[in-house]
Amino acid sequence: MPTAVLLDSSLSMTRPVSVEGSEEFQRKNLAVHGLTMLFEHMATNYRLEFTSLVSFSSLWEVLVPFTRDYNTLQEALNNLEDYDKTCLEAALQGVSNIVQQEWGTSCPCQVVLVTDGALGIGRGSLRHSLQTVKQRVEDKKFPLPFPFPSKLYVMCIANAEELQATDSMDNLEQLINLNGGEGQIYTMEGPLCLKSVQSMFGKLIDQAYSPFHAVLRCGNLTSDVQVFPRPEPVTIDEEVDPMPRTVQTEGDEIGTGATDDTEEETSTNQMAGKSPNFCVLLHGSLKVEGMVALVQLGPDWFGMLYSQADSKKKSNLMMSLFEPGSEPLPWLGRISQLGPASDAAENPYGEDDSKSPFPIQPKHKRSYAQNVTVWIKASGLQTDVQKILRNARKLPEKTQTFYKELNRLRKAALAFGFWELLKSMAELLERECTLLSDSAHPDAAFQLSHAAQQLKLASSGDSKYAAYEHNITPMLTDFSGGGGAHRI
Amino acid sequence: MLTSFSRAGLATPAIYLKCLFYFPQSLCRRTGLRMFSVSHKTAFVVDHCPYMAESCRQLIECDMLTKSRSQGVIPLAPVSKSLWTCAIECSMEYCRILFDVYPTWKLVNYIVSDSEVHILNSWKQEDQNTHELMAALAAVGPPNPRQDPECCSVLHGLVAAVESLCKITEYQHESRTTLMDTADRVANRGRIICLTNAKSDTHVRMLEDCVLETIQEQNKRAAGSDRLMPIQQCELVLVHIYPQGEETLVSDRQKKEVLSSMLSSEVHSVRAGRYLASKLNVLVQQHFDLASTTITNIPMKEEQHANTSANYDVELLHHRDAHMEFIKSGDLHMAGSTSRDSGLKETVTLKWCTPRTNSVELHYCTGAYRISPVDVNSRPSSCLTNFLLNGRSVLLEQPRKSGSKVISHMLSSHGGEIFLHVLNSTRSTLEDPPSISEGCGGRVTDYRITDFGEFMRENRLTPFPDSMIDAAGRTPVERAKSQLERYTRYWPMIISQTTIFNMQAVVPLANLIVKDTLTDEDVLTCQKTVYNLVDMERKSDPLPISTVGSRGKGPKRDEQYRIMWNELETLVKAHVGTSERHQRVLECISACRSKPPEEEERKKRGRKREDKEDKTEKNGKDTEEKGWTTDSERLKGVMEREKDEQSECEIIKDSPDSPEPLNKKPRLATEEQQPPEKSKGPVSLLTLWTNRITQANSRKHQEFAGRLSSVNNKAELYQHLKEENGMDVHENGKATR
Repeated sequence: MPTAVLLDSSLSMTRPVSVEGSEEFQRKNLAVHGLTMLFEHMATNYRLEFTSLVSFSSLWEVLVPFTRDYNTLQEALNNLEDYDKTCLEAALQGVSNIVQQEWGTSCPCQVVLVTDGALGIGRGSLRHSLQTVKQRVEDKKFPLPFPFPSKLYVMCIANAEELQATDSMDNLEQLINLNGGEGQIYTMEGPLCLKSVQSMFGKLIDQAYSPFHAVLRCGNLTSDVQVFPRPEPVTIDEEVDPMPRTVQTEGDEIGTGATDDTEEETSTNQMAGKSPNFCVLLHGSLKVEGMVALVQLGPDWFGMLYSQADSKKKSNLMMSLFEPGSEPLPWLGRISQLGPASDAAENPYGEDDSKSPFPIQPKHKRSYAQNVTVWIKASGLQTDVQKILRNARKLPEKTQTFYKELNRLRKAALAFGFWELLKSMAELLERECTLLSDSAHPDAAFQLSHAAQQLKLASSGDSKYAAYEHNITPMLTDFSGGGGAHRI
Repeated sequence: MLTSFSRAGLATPAIYLKCLFYFPQSLCRRTGLRMFSVSHKTAFVVDHCPYMAESCRQLIECDMLTKSRSQGVIPLAPVSKSLWTCAIECSMEYCRILFDVYPTWKLVNYIVSDSEVHILNSWKQEDQNTHELMAALAAVGPPNPRQDPECCSVLHGLVAAVESLCKITEYQHESRTTLMDTADRVANRGRIICLTNAKSDTHVRMLEDCVLETIQEQNKRAAGSDRLMPIQQCELVLVHIYPQGEETLVSDRQKKEVLSSMLSSEVHSVRAGRYLASKLNVLVQQHFDLASTTITNIPMKEEQHANTSANYDVELLHHRDAHMEFIKSGDLHMAGSTSRDSGLKETVTLKWCTPRTNSVELHYCTGAYRISPVDVNSRPSSCLTNFLLNGRSVLLEQPRKSGSKVISHMLSSHGGEIFLHVLNSTRSTLEDPPSISEGCGGRVTDYRITDFGEFMRENRLTPFPDSMIDAAGRTPVERAKSQLERYTRYWPMIISQTTIFNMQAVVPLANLIVKDTLTDEDVLTCQKTVYNLVDMERKSDPLPISTVGSRGKGPKRDEQYRIMWNELETLVKAHVGTSERHQRVLECISACRSKPPEEEERKKRGRKREDKEDKTEKNGKDTEEKGWTTDSERLKGVMEREKDEQSECEIIKDSPDSPEPLNKKPRLATEEQQPPEKSKGPVSLLTLWTNRITQANSRKHQEFAGRLSSVNNKAELYQHLKEENGMDVHENGKATR
């Protein structure tokens, strides 16, 4: 999950904090100290995380675009400049834009706002923004909630009492509420000093940047792993199951759909690069065999592991989480019903690996996979009528298709209560009969008048002839010899 | 950037979490964050009163005469549908789309109302398909225009619909059962779609009042029943259908009006025919959070002109989350255009990209959503769907103002269902992940990759029927886990850590021993494997022992075999608790494996002679193999009579393949001690073989103490007397030899 750090560079950040004895600090220095701590933590535990640094006052500026290079971020922190007043709304809009440009709107992102809690005055102040939040026109909406899944963490270089003395705390709380409650406000406890800023950022790290350690388990083969980025809890149903599901640190690998079972456990065994590791073995075999492993992440929560290579031929073990549930992939069926292939009477993969029990076909075909009849548009009806007439003119060669199409039309007309169509179709067939040329096969005339008569009977609604499941079968004539008459 | 990762190396290997993949099954359940939302239950009430038999007054020309045939033929009068037919086909279309996109969890109860109520299906999942409904509708037939209008009313149907909404569905039942104490979290909501021809606004009001009253009444009844649930929320959608060319008598009231905390109502006054069709199409989209995508520029060959191709468009419906990226980024209006059919609804236009290859590519896909074509049996639609059902995929391109092209979606089918896949078109947070070889364990080069591949193939999963629970009450997936546990009890990860898994000769045993149950035949195969190893050892065949970490040639041959036997024992010991037959395999190994070093010494002395013998053995290989089968069959019989040492010996003696009887007297098995005759002269393979069997069998029972300490089958009696005198019996015994 990328992080955008939004650092207040207004003049108020240069206010000194009184520290007994030692050298004098500005609030800005405390902010830099806290962020340094955060960046150091990420450089160690979240090396792959992208972070961007944006400073703001009445204007905002991207100091460092999204990067994994924490040295650059640190450097930027060391070269901060001071500007004028705080104008938060524009800065939040700016963050929203840069995140969307970089990651789109589906990628979750954390926004860390570092401020002294002096949120500006007059126009452009947060107070003013919040007062007018409901009177916005479409293209000047308040940037919160962010259009992407987000957490907004507000790091106040101030203590709670200070913020509560003004309306700053209320305004910040309102900000979190505007973001759908996604986020948290951190304040400093006790005097403003290096120690308390460390403790505040420490809390943020515990909350939002703790690495996710787990154990991947396949029977007795195990490996300690870190899942990156950290999987976040998911709410399945706000009503029936309101507790968000968290990925268990015990993951069971179940077997391959190829498949296997993973367990994840909180324990970190540091292993040397040279001792064999199950992850590497698993990855290698998944890659060679082109298989994926099914992973259990919790009760009724599954995912899959596979090898993914980038263009530079570097590959790694990748995990995709499915939505929690017992049947996350329709074509695999219920996961609990997946058992070892060796238990099956016959190898479902075939002796030479030529078959697969997947995908499981749905019980009912979808409408586009069956020959449904829809006459909502006149053209649909006309096409069906023309199809029958075309085949009627090629009787007796097309006897099979003729009756098949005729029965399809008959069924639909009966279901839709469209008896008038049956009568018209009968008339059309009778007319076809009269238009037959002298060279026409004598069977054609018999079949046409037989079909027309059957349709007329059906249009009477007489239950004997209008049964839905009933099919009109070709007339048995001396010419047709009964061949193929029964298989319609 | 990257080099910094590779140098650093990760403390633990990382698994990269690609994304939370939104698979469609879960979306089948819910259209928001609630499984039991209003859209869980839809009751259709269709008016079957005599006035519905009236024509919709939209004429359809079905006599399309071709020019050549039109001479002298009077064309047939055009046909027109009745209001009933219009209502039915539009509601069926609504259901068709619904069942395509949500095959489960979204249920329809279809009710027809005239002088009585005809309930055409139930909430059961198996009743949820258009075929069943069509058959039931055919049985109802069109309304009878001669029926007395006084006794017919859509009210009967509305009352039945409310009653039906109170009935619990399978899904509600299942959730309530699993939730136990919190069963009250399962909500009961529903929607009634009533297709009728109302007389006036007052008439509409009367219908609404009636529904509200019925809900209140039914909720009281439902409170006291297990199979019924009170309705918490009901949406009434009244669709007033009137013929073309007439003025409507009912005013449109599309905005939801809240009649009570339980009931809201809206009225749509629509002309029959295509207007009704597009109204219901809009409604199904609203009710089930659907959105429309038009695939444009689909090249299709013309039947007449096979060389040319024209471009067609196909409109698909799907869950609107497939457009999430457009909606949020505000690109929707840019990407979209309005549907040609109605100015009302929006569709996002995506451009077809002709698939270059048929290769299976793993795209960075963040979601897959079922689709339903709007015009299901039009030629372009069916061409597209058939193309996809045949296993092809199509990438879709999002036209952008800047002119740049972005592939944003993919159409592809799985198991006969077509899904619109959402592809990630922005930068990935997972770009440039380090190679796994940079992590821990990455420098190890001799992983048993092929073996683990084989292991995975043996542990592949397959679906079992719902009732498949084994004797121990385990679900198939639990059985799969326990199989994995068994298969990995002893599984060295790298080649240099193992000897036995590098030996072809061990394969039969290694494959069998991990099984849950063994047959007698399996045990026999394992034993054969062991004998084979014994034979290899006797011949001093080289073993694939790793020389990693050791200088020179590595351990000596004897040491190699000792390592091999130890490893084999470790493997089998890991499974010894599984069954008595597994135990027997271990016993066989313990009996056969070489142990005391002094015996090794003796063997060495005889090795030269045995080497010569090898050649003869190779010559007689064919007969030997035959002998193997006969022996094994015999052995099987032997094992059934394990305890009967005497008869076993006789059989072995009778063996036709024995070149010469080695012993006059029946030989009795002696623990690991070769009969002295053995090292004296050449011994046939069969003799060796039978000796081993005898030894193995002797392990099956406790040997007589006397026979154990016997020398040449002569046991000294009353040894304890000597022992008491402070003499070592065993040495004494040996000394006497």
